[in-house]
Amino acid sequence: MPFAGFWLSQMPDIVFRAELCFGPNLALDEAKQMNMRDVQRADRRGYWWGLGLVALATLLGQLVHRFFDPTNIMALYLLGVVITAVAWGFGPSVMVATLSVLALDFFFVPPYLTFVVADTQYVFTFIAMLGVGLTISYLTSRIRQQTQAARRRESETTTLYALSRDIKVATGLEDTLHTIIENAKETFQHDIVTFLPDPERNGKLRPHVGSAGLAIEDKDLAAAQWSFEHQKTVGSGTDTLPDASGIFIPLNASRGPVGVLALWIADSAAPLAAGQTRLLEAYADLAAVAIEHIELAEEARNAQILAASDQLQTALLNSISHDLRTPLVSVIGVLSSLQEEEMGLDEAARKNLIQVAREEAERLNRLITNLLDSSRIEAGAIRISRQLVEVGDIVGVALGQLSGRSGSRLIKKNVPSNLPFVSVDFGLIVQVLVNVLDNAFKYSPPDSPIDIGVQQVDDEVEIVVADRGVGIPPEDLAQVFNKFYRVHRPDSVSGTGLGLSICRGIVEAHEGRIVAENRPCGGTIIRITLPIEEPVTRERGKAK
Amino acid sequence: MSPNKPRVLVVDDEQAIRRFLHLALTSQGYEVSEAASAERALALATSCRPDLIILDLGLPDMDGVEVTRRLREWTQVPIIILSVRGSEGDKIAALDAGADDYLTKPFGVGELLARLRVALRRLPHPGSEPVFTGGDLTVDLAHRLVTVCEREVQLTPNEYDILRVLVTHAGKVLTHRHLLREVWGEAYELEFHMLHVNISNLRHKIEPDPTSPQFIITEPGVGYRLRVN
Repeated sequence: MPFAGFWLSQMPDIVFRAELCFGPNLALDEAKQMNMRDVQRADRRGYWWGLGLVALATLLGQLVHRFFDPTNIMALYLLGVVITAVAWGFGPSVMVATLSVLALDFFFVPPYLTFVVADTQYVFTFIAMLGVGLTISYLTSRIRQQTQAARRRESETTTLYALSRDIKVATGLEDTLHTIIENAKETFQHDIVTFLPDPERNGKLRPHVGSAGLAIEDKDLAAAQWSFEHQKTVGSGTDTLPDASGIFIPLNASRGPVGVLALWIADSAAPLAAGQTRLLEAYADLAAVAIEHIELAEEARNAQILAASDQLQTALLNSISHDLRTPLVSVIGVLSSLQEEEMGLDEAARKNLIQVAREEAERLNRLITNLLDSSRIEAGAIRISRQLVEVGDIVGVALGQLSGRSGSRLIKKNVPSNLPFVSVDFGLIVQVLVNVLDNAFKYSPPDSPIDIGVQQVDDEVEIVVADRGVGIPPEDLAQVFNKFYRVHRPDSVSGTGLGLSICRGIVEAHEGRIVAENRPCGGTIIRITLPIEEPVTRERGKAK
Repeated sequence: MSPNKPRVLVVDDEQAIRRFLHLALTSQGYEVSEAASAERALALATSCRPDLIILDLGLPDMDGVEVTRRLREWTQVPIIILSVRGSEGDKIAALDAGADDYLTKPFGVGELLARLRVALRRLPHPGSEPVFTGGDLTVDLAHRLVTVCEREVQLTPNEYDILRVLVTHAGKVLTHRHLLREVWGEAYELEFHMLHVNISNLRHKIEPDPTSPQFIITEPGVGYRLRVN
């Protein structure tokens, strides 16, 4: 509408004044605070200003009366109509148009100071003036409404954009809900509560309150539940459950309802303006999409985890069933040959067979122990009961447990006597050392020596086990601690690839580290580092 | 059935384990009775008055710790606990409730028989032997004299008290709490570190190689035991 556009652009001060009437920032003010009372007060003020403008036009008219025709003075009045229409809308400008016609007649059309018209052509002037005035009023006020609507929309868009931007950076459901609640609270100046179905309570809605001290009564929960189940906006200002503490809007996403958003209206005498209800609904839509998005992401993640664990289980079963059966083959074989008396085994052969069966049964026992530990570490079910332990004692107990397997091998210990105590789970750390030593036994020649060293480095204790075996290919060093990872060698020793992964699980649960290195002159070094939690004095003598 | 045969009550809900223990023990000259439940075990303990009870901790009808507690209400018969790995808490609870020793399943017969002998040997005169000798270590309780390789060792009062308690219960596993209570008193029951430091010092004085102890054996997470030959 070029005509109105011209007027608006030509009269910035009038527009500015119009904004003043509604507060410093019309755009935000509209959305936030324009309730009915404000609108009514603004309207009444418009009428008074209109009246003033008519008076002003009359005064100016009186000044120029002797130079101009009354028809020209009409332009002054029409200016008043335009200003009123732009600044205060349709109602006041209609009043100004009507009053202007009457004032023109009364003051400027002879005979003066009466409404009687001597020259009948002025009747036409009045009709035309009223017509033009009303048309201007109508057109200008429509432009005004559209401008206001555009501003409101812009402000809504800005608010919603800000919300969607904040939601995008929010991580997780709690964070997103918090963002929605905080944003809406700032926009609507009311408390916001979201209600989401609680899987632990059979899908009943659970309120999520933004600000503390907000009492959710049973009737509010009931209103939320009703809104959720019937997919209808209920609560204050609606026909359904109007005495609830707020407006309850169902959150509808593409896959169905995800919850309910409630705007807490503390002062029930001030219902929400039409524009705000629309904005609130837009908020609800955004919130619904955001919540659904998070739920979908969660489901996708769960599905992924499930698939991964499924894969793991298949791998585990394949690897384990072989390792479980192999020792049993020997055990059953030995026992059945001992049972068959016609085989006529001599004493030496019998002893030999029994030795084989025993070793294999013990291997099976170690394997099952490792499997159980591994699954416990995996499930996070491993409980660490710490106690202060002398590191030398750990080495002693571990070697004691392996005494049957070390054979004639030379084990060189370098364990100083003044080592500090470490706070660890004794049994678990012993197992780490047993697993590491067991590997050293398996992967180095039977007659080669094994070195065990313990030393304190700053506030850590380092246990080093070094063998004279073939070592680990450099590209595998980092991976030997992964589950089921085994260094592939032609003459591979039996094993499941669990031992070192268990070691890492246990050591890391102690906030320690375990690393593998190759020995410069051949062999493998495993370093276990454990933190010393508190400096402990080792005074000899009476501790009491 | 000779009246001199020691009677052993085996309590385990697994029939295979009962059968294996029955065979192993009868072949070694023990008289064995069996119970598959705690209720039956408590009944048999009163009716056949065994000289020793082998008790599985994982019984279907009652917690093994509770069984130990009920037995200890009226009898001092030695109790050897059978447990699975990973249940250290139950093991300690059973030992603190009065059990004498424990074995972790699976175990070898040799180990079981050794424990049985230790438990039964203590029976007639608990702590009455005035001089303990094990390898190079000699502890003369009457004269408070400790020698290693016939060389006298100077111990602090606490170290001596620990050794005395271990010697009077030689071969038996003593929980940390038990040792702390006996040496320092009940108020010090949880001062585990104090015990560890003293044991460490004691080992440096009496063990030829303190990092692989010959006499004072660590039972990881449970306590200590004095080895007997």
